[in-house]
Amino acid sequence: MRISVILLTLLVSITTFAQDYDFGKVSKEELEETVNPIDSSASAAYLYKFRKTYFQYVKEKGFQVVTEVHERIKIYNQEGFEYATKTVNLYKNGNDKEDLKNIKAYTYNLVDGEVEKEKLDKKAIFKLEQSKYRDQEKFTLPNIKNGCIVEYKYRVDSPYISNIDDYIFQEEIPIKKLEAEFEAPEYFVYKQNVRGYLPITPIKETRNDKITFTNMVRSSGGMSATTSSFQSQDVNFVKNRSSYNLSNIPALKEEAYVNNINNYRSSVKYELSYTKYPDSPMDYYSTTWEAVVKNIYENPSFGSELDKKGYYEDDIDALIGSISDPVQRAYLIFNFVKTRMKWNSYHSYYTNEGVKRAYKDQVGNVAEINLMLTSMLRHAGLRAYPVLVSTRNNGVPLFPTREGYNYVVSCVRFPEGDMLLDATNKYAMPNVLPEKALNWQGRIISEHGGSELIDLYPKKKSLNSVFMMVNLHEDGNLEGAYRSIKTNHNALAFRDKYIDYNKEEYLEKLENKYDGMEVSEYEVKDPLDLSKPITESYKFVKESQADIIGDKMYFSPLFFLRASENPFKLEERAYPVDFSYPQVTKFRIQIDLPEGYKVESIPESGAFKMPDNLGVFKYNLSVQDNKVQLMVNSDINESIITPAYYAALKAYFSQLVEKQGEQIVLSRI
Amino acid sequence: MNFKFCVNIYVLFTTMLVFGQENLHQVNTIPPELLEKSNAVIRLNEVTYNMESVQKMHVQGKRIITILNAHGDKHIDAFMHYDGNIKIKDLKVLVYDAHGNLIDKIKESDFKDVSAVSGGTLYSDSRVKYLSHTAINYPYTIEFIYDFTDENTAFIRSFVPVNDFLVSVEKSSYTVNYPRDITIKTKEKNFDDFNLEKEEVEGIIHFEVKNIKAFKDEAYSPEFFDMAPMVLVTSTEFQLEGVQTKVETWNDFGNWMYHDLIKDTHDLSEATKAKIKALVKDEPNDYSKAKKIYEYVQNKTRYIGVQVGIGGWKPFNASEVDALGYGDCKGLTNYTLALLQAAGIKSNYTVVYAKASQRSFENDFVSMQGNHVILNIPMENEDVWLECTSQKLPFGFIGDFTDDRDVLVISPEGAEIKHTKKYTVEDNLQTIKANYVVSNEGAIDVNIHVVSEGIQYDDKYMLETETERDLDKAYKERWGYINRISIDEMHIENNKTDVQFIENIHFQAGNYAKKIGDRMLLTLNTVNRNTHIPDRYRNRIWPLKVKRGFKDVDEIEIKWPAEYKIEAMPKAITIENKFGSYKTAIETIDENTLIYKREFIIKDGAFPKEDYDAFRNFHKEVSKQDNAKVALIKTNL
Repeated sequence: MRISVILLTLLVSITTFAQDYDFGKVSKEELEETVNPIDSSASAAYLYKFRKTYFQYVKEKGFQVVTEVHERIKIYNQEGFEYATKTVNLYKNGNDKEDLKNIKAYTYNLVDGEVEKEKLDKKAIFKLEQSKYRDQEKFTLPNIKNGCIVEYKYRVDSPYISNIDDYIFQEEIPIKKLEAEFEAPEYFVYKQNVRGYLPITPIKETRNDKITFTNMVRSSGGMSATTSSFQSQDVNFVKNRSSYNLSNIPALKEEAYVNNINNYRSSVKYELSYTKYPDSPMDYYSTTWEAVVKNIYENPSFGSELDKKGYYEDDIDALIGSISDPVQRAYLIFNFVKTRMKWNSYHSYYTNEGVKRAYKDQVGNVAEINLMLTSMLRHAGLRAYPVLVSTRNNGVPLFPTREGYNYVVSCVRFPEGDMLLDATNKYAMPNVLPEKALNWQGRIISEHGGSELIDLYPKKKSLNSVFMMVNLHEDGNLEGAYRSIKTNHNALAFRDKYIDYNKEEYLEKLENKYDGMEVSEYEVKDPLDLSKPITESYKFVKESQADIIGDKMYFSPLFFLRASENPFKLEERAYPVDFSYPQVTKFRIQIDLPEGYKVESIPESGAFKMPDNLGVFKYNLSVQDNKVQLMVNSDINESIITPAYYAALKAYFSQLVEKQGEQIVLSRI
Repeated sequence: MNFKFCVNIYVLFTTMLVFGQENLHQVNTIPPELLEKSNAVIRLNEVTYNMESVQKMHVQGKRIITILNAHGDKHIDAFMHYDGNIKIKDLKVLVYDAHGNLIDKIKESDFKDVSAVSGGTLYSDSRVKYLSHTAINYPYTIEFIYDFTDENTAFIRSFVPVNDFLVSVEKSSYTVNYPRDITIKTKEKNFDDFNLEKEEVEGIIHFEVKNIKAFKDEAYSPEFFDMAPMVLVTSTEFQLEGVQTKVETWNDFGNWMYHDLIKDTHDLSEATKAKIKALVKDEPNDYSKAKKIYEYVQNKTRYIGVQVGIGGWKPFNASEVDALGYGDCKGLTNYTLALLQAAGIKSNYTVVYAKASQRSFENDFVSMQGNHVILNIPMENEDVWLECTSQKLPFGFIGDFTDDRDVLVISPEGAEIKHTKKYTVEDNLQTIKANYVVSNEGAIDVNIHVVSEGIQYDDKYMLETETERDLDKAYKERWGYINRISIDEMHIENNKTDVQFIENIHFQAGNYAKKIGDRMLLTLNTVNRNTHIPDRYRNRIWPLKVKRGFKDVDEIEIKWPAEYKIEAMPKAITIENKFGSYKTAIETIDENTLIYKREFIIKDGAFPKEDYDAFRNFHKEVSKQDNAKVALIKTNL
């Protein structure tokens, strides 16, 4: 009974859907639709998105990966016109390349109640070379109008069995119906990694298949002529298939303060774990974290690069010869690598030219610089290990994959704790990694190839502490001295923006950041001394810092430093807010009031916080004679704040903006 | 100490011994004034155009640039565009450290070689080879050497020694060698403050400049093209994609473009022509016919750039655009022209420099200019200009992309320079009518009605197609200074006929009026505060240029709770100066109601640099007055 019900439903759904989504069977109803029923703001929608990836045996080439794509897109208005252009990226390397074939594409319009279709001209398919490793094919459909539908299908043949494009299940526009299938022979075992908020469970099944090999057999019989005959032989194997059937997938919408929206996009990645050909041993690519790490470690561009020493030995021995303190040794080597090496902007955990060449050229990619660093630290007798990292742009690695990581840093284990190092940035400090590398957790690799997770988000808060002494004049103008101290990530961010740039320009930007405030005696103390925080100081004159109404003066005691806008403007939010690192902002302000005025009222001192101590705000104001003392602290205690706290976060900032805007009232004596 | 001294002596000594360009690789030979406000110094830029014939030119160049800091990296500019007409003979880069030691050599094969297709273009056959270089230390010097031949001779590059801000020039020289059958014309621009050395003998033209300090970008300055010294260069005889021509006057130029590139592309099927005739048959005049046709084009087509060979200059056939429903600016403009023709309306293909900076055609210098094409329809009172790549702009509205500049209008009879529509202060009007009520707690409930015209329409019409979520965000950003804003109604009307953008919004904001004890402080101007204060410069260098003026007129009715009375009220303000005017007035209607009126005008115009501070102060004062507050005090009723 149960089985028949399921079968029946399946059957029904096949008859209703299969018909509709055949290529070319675009209905009048689809064309007549003017607004997306599940999302009225959508400018376009996938009515149908289909992809099937499977293997095909090709004589002399072996197994090829074939991907068939069929998409039908409804375009509601001009904002959706971009969906009439399709771009397909194709990879290549020497003679191995991906091929795009069998493109068929049509535009459908409703003209006087009739469906009118127009074919894509083959001449309108363009091929572009993007780099040595990447081509791009593009086409755009004709006669795109509001309400039209475009439909295309094509296939891509690829020799890259270890590089299956992600299945994207969520797009910037809604998807009405999605079908996807992945099928691989038993020789190739893939891991399937699901990402995003949608519940995605594939239906798994197995099928039998065979390949028929035909061999020519020659037999020669002494003096007689050689005869050839053909023998065919069947190889039977099992195919594993997983298929997906989803409907009404909502659009993915961008939000501010998200580190990478693709972390939340629903998708599935098939990553090759191992190959197992008949009568041969298994060849591992990745399965578990151990396998991934082993795989990366054993690659000649990683493990053996780490073991090379000869190229630096003399230099490092000379550098640390007289120093025995391990921490000092770590600092010396770290500074040495930062000074010597320049990062060429390439991300990878594999070396490119190799550490030796990089050392000689003084230029390298991330792996060259940080593996070299790790190796030198080990040479100095320190417990140094490479740490695989995924940059913020690369997304969060949720599953054991090689592609999950794209970056490597170094970690030295001291009895007092870990020291994370990245020598690609001159101004990075121990345990202050560049912001792009602050992405949840990394994986630290031991000498034996084992690995474990390591938290990358900093524990120490980054400080910005401002001390200001000001004179408020009767006309509302403000004159004073400003001094700020920045540590950790705040210091790194400052150095990145300040040191290598034109100072005059910097100053002008600073002045104009505060609407043309006049700055003099500007000074940054020892910006290159990374052992010290950044201390910036200047004198300033700023006009109109108080409202004068009748015989009263009104002003916020934070003046131009107050936050005037809540950065969180959306009413709701689906994804976590990412502050990158925990931070503390402190203001200590001392105000000399103008003569002839007395304080009539002041804002109340007080404090408030976000739930679970995620954020804390304190405000303390006191008046003595003609002086006002203000202390304001605001702390963000976590790097990441989950959407469950969004309403609280927004309210917290709203309250913060309000409190910072509260005014002191002076009245004329 | 002694050792260091020796080194210095040694450096000095070698410098003196070195001849020619060798010392251009060392940083210490840069004249100090060229280091001021500069991220990079062009030590030498030497280029020679050998016009072998009308069909071919041979270009050789060497560019030595010292990059002083990380901002300077982007000025390396070691790249070369090429296509089927360009043959690269040599391309290489030498890299030197600060002391002039050669540290790297990059061969042509090590340049990155990719398709040069910019955003917005689907396909073009242009490619580019470029150097991707990582600096080890600053400063460093790059010597870029190139040599190529080009069978398109229409584009001799002009002599533009300064081509970007914050880059100084030690020496730049430029030579054209040309045969008897070619005439080279030149025009010098902006050399009042710079010395141009030139030599002209038959067959050779040579220009040279030395020691030009870095230019600084300043807000409200004239277009770069009107400040930087340059010599425009063109040859009267040239070849473009295999076709040769000779142009001496704009008329020649127009004739060539019309006959060789445009004329035979106006093919339309009889069916399409008939369709267009039917479409406009009930329209009373050419203006309304043209409007109907423009809207037809907007509904039918979209912008897609495809440029192959001559297609970079010659439009797609009208029949092709008709069939595909897309084209680039040339194709879409030409298609509109053909449709208008079918309806018996004459219109002209028009070449323009498009960009908000209002760069004009060089009136008196006949040459290939411009980067975009629009359509001109001569009408009795005023010419109509059409941007044919937009599906959204109202008929006859071109906005800041092509307004108020000289353009080249091409007709079967030849060509002439015309000036596009200028949007005046009165044209760029924004009118606000609003009312709000303040609650006992200081919350406000606001109704606002905004009508925008002219360039102010241009600034806002994109909002029409925003999703509700993004529109909500856009308003929260426009009124970012209002905390706790919550918008519950947003009605937008895009009136294309009158070119008016109308917004009706209703919102609330808690704690808007600041309660301090018995007082409530209320900023009168809720919805249109000037928050823009032009940047301050310690020493303004460039003259002041306000490209477009505008006028804002606001009227807001404000009501507050009965128990509050006015304690102090801002004064009415009138400021008038050469930059514009600002007027506010407050009318008390009854004890709990007033009307706040505000008019703010900025006029367009050009002023000497000495006026910049006053201009800036005017904005500052407006910004201050826009924050004027009423103090209300609680009274015991």
